Amino acid sequence: MQTVVSVLFDVTLITMVLALAAFGLAIIYGLVGVINLGHGAMLTLGAYFTWAGIDAGLPFFIAVGVAGVGVGIVGIAFEHLVIRHFYDRPFDTLLLTWGFFLVSTEVVKIVFGTSFRNVTGPFPGAIDIGIYSLPAYRTFVAALSAAIIIATALVFFKTSLGIRIRALIQNREMASLLGLNIAATYKLVFAFGAFMAGLAGGLIAPMLSIDPYIGNVYLVRSFFVVIVGGVGQLLAGTLLGSFFIGGAETIIALFSSQVVAQAAVFFIAIVILRFRPLGLVGGR
Amino acid sequence: MTKHTRPATRRSVLKGLAAGSAVLATPGIIRATRAQSGPIRVGVISPLTGAWTVYGRAHLAGFELAVEEINAAGGVLGRQLEVVIGDSRTEPRIVVEQANRLIRQENVDFLAGTFSSAERNAAGPVVRSADKVLLYPTFYEGQEKEYYPGVCNPNIFMFGPEPTQQVWPHMEYMMNTYGKKFFMIGSDYAWPRVTNAVTKIKLAELGGEVLDEVYIPFNTPQYESVLRDIRSAGPDIIFHSLTGSDTVNFRQQLAAAGMKDDFVLWTVDDEEVVTSGLGPDVSENDYVSFDYFMSIDHPNNAAFLERFKAKNGEDALVNTVGVAMYNAAHMAAMALEEAGEVSTEALRTNLKGITFEDAPQGPVSMREIDNQAVLPSYLMKVRPGWTNVNDMFEKVQSFDAVEPLDARCDLPL
Repeated sequence: MQTVVSVLFDVTLITMVLALAAFGLAIIYGLVGVINLGHGAMLTLGAYFTWAGIDAGLPFFIAVGVAGVGVGIVGIAFEHLVIRHFYDRPFDTLLLTWGFFLVSTEVVKIVFGTSFRNVTGPFPGAIDIGIYSLPAYRTFVAALSAAIIIATALVFFKTSLGIRIRALIQNREMASLLGLNIAATYKLVFAFGAFMAGLAGGLIAPMLSIDPYIGNVYLVRSFFVVIVGGVGQLLAGTLLGSFFIGGAETIIALFSSQVVAQAAVFFIAIVILRFRPLGLVGGR
Repeated sequence: MTKHTRPATRRSVLKGLAAGSAVLATPGIIRATRAQSGPIRVGVISPLTGAWTVYGRAHLAGFELAVEEINAAGGVLGRQLEVVIGDSRTEPRIVVEQANRLIRQENVDFLAGTFSSAERNAAGPVVRSADKVLLYPTFYEGQEKEYYPGVCNPNIFMFGPEPTQQVWPHMEYMMNTYGKKFFMIGSDYAWPRVTNAVTKIKLAELGGEVLDEVYIPFNTPQYESVLRDIRSAGPDIIFHSLTGSDTVNFRQQLAAAGMKDDFVLWTVDDEEVVTSGLGPDVSENDYVSFDYFMSIDHPNNAAFLERFKAKNGEDALVNTVGVAMYNAAHMAAMALEEAGEVSTEALRTNLKGITFEDAPQGPVSMREIDNQAVLPSYLMKVRPGWTNVNDMFEKVQSFDAVEPLDARCDLPL
């Protein structure tokens, strides 16, 4: 019983944290089709900006917010200077965003140095709920992640802004003929994706050691989450994808070693894609 | 259109070959005449970029301080030491490239460094075939014949402790104080695996028990399932050999899960640099064992730290690896001085049995039989609420001059 409860909690926590990390990519890749290999770099920047904010004396959540905005601004600049010429050529964006990763990693190393850094989360310690001890900060992040994803999905499906974005994705030429400002909408979506990645990097920072490559741990996993879940399916796709890539790993680790669990997860992803090439809830 | 060419006469071919070989041989001739004069070149392979950059800095700093001291005292046999750096980028295959470049292009006289066991094992075949000495500073898993030529290699000298020096001396204390049930967690490569295997020998001797042995692939961010395993196994001691960012991730998550109150952690990886990165809350009350700590109380250490900080800054950190590089440089210089010439054979023969009295942790000698240094062994506990390196560790016990078990190779090397 103890194991079932602990597995349930572990799976939920891992799924939601991974969903948060992948959400920025779900927006950028899912909505505007940019194969963002710089997603890991955006997470890294979010973590470093958060560290810098805290070092400058800001309280934790303000620092995270500032970090998100900071990465959003970097995203806008990158989009304006580079990406906006390449929306028709997704494979070129692959190279460009990888270049972004390389440049931003080196800049981070120059500005912040290469030693491990530490960010203390605002809720250290654990919450004891009788049968289980929940790590307090991680639980908070998981809850926040759920809130953010649901809120974004609501905006996407229930507001006029959401309609405009969906129109843009469905048929860009028609949408522009009907008066939609394409350039501005793309910019908005890209910036929001970058903001999300920065926010995620900042929120995840207290759980990991911060070094220039921290974001890349989540890069491959994020791509699998988005692809397995379904490109363009922000809510269901991200959550389902995160469950299969993140949660399944911890379930398999119950029965075998870490290495086997990590490998098995990718194997499962391949099997899923074989039978549902557009992702679990993709293609609608 | 016909082309007019002179027929290739035997004479012209011979002239061409002679000229060609003279041109090709010239660099070699020039180098050979340089070899016995001019600076003595040492190739240092360090992880200066990539995941282990933090270790690379202490690594190189220790060596460079020693070289500065040696050169200030007149060099070796009247020649200055010159350091040629190769960045391994924390990747074993780059180590091979760098080792080849340093040996064949830069023409170094011997090599020092590589950091991880994986890197050293990659350099092994290169130093064997090129017949150059490698001075290896890092705490490692000991020499087992199956890992030749990364170990058991007559050209590789070990200046860092192996498990029978780093772990065995303290097992009795830890087991008597905390209990006999061990949970072993380490990164997934040679060093943690063999270290655990060697530790298990002593554990069995003392009547201990291994509840589980878990190996984690590099760059694993989430440790929920491992923490769950630890909780359900209920060990007395968590024996920890994770490295890189994984050790920080794991220890942070262990602390966040509130498990530090229930379990004792004994790490053989996390020295000053990593512990500084962890912070006092995550690292408090954990045990660490090495041959050197910045805070050890030896007169040599005080003098050494003064010189190290004068060169690298008041806040500079040095650790077992940096000090081992420092010792290696001095001992190599002493060996060459004794030999009277600079060659692999001279270095190899004279390093054996040499003793360096001024090593920061007290006199260090190099064994003759298996190229392993004899080192002290310290068990430290992390002080709760430490503020900097000076009050980070509290000495629990120490042993001078711990002789390791004979290497499991064809001896003597």
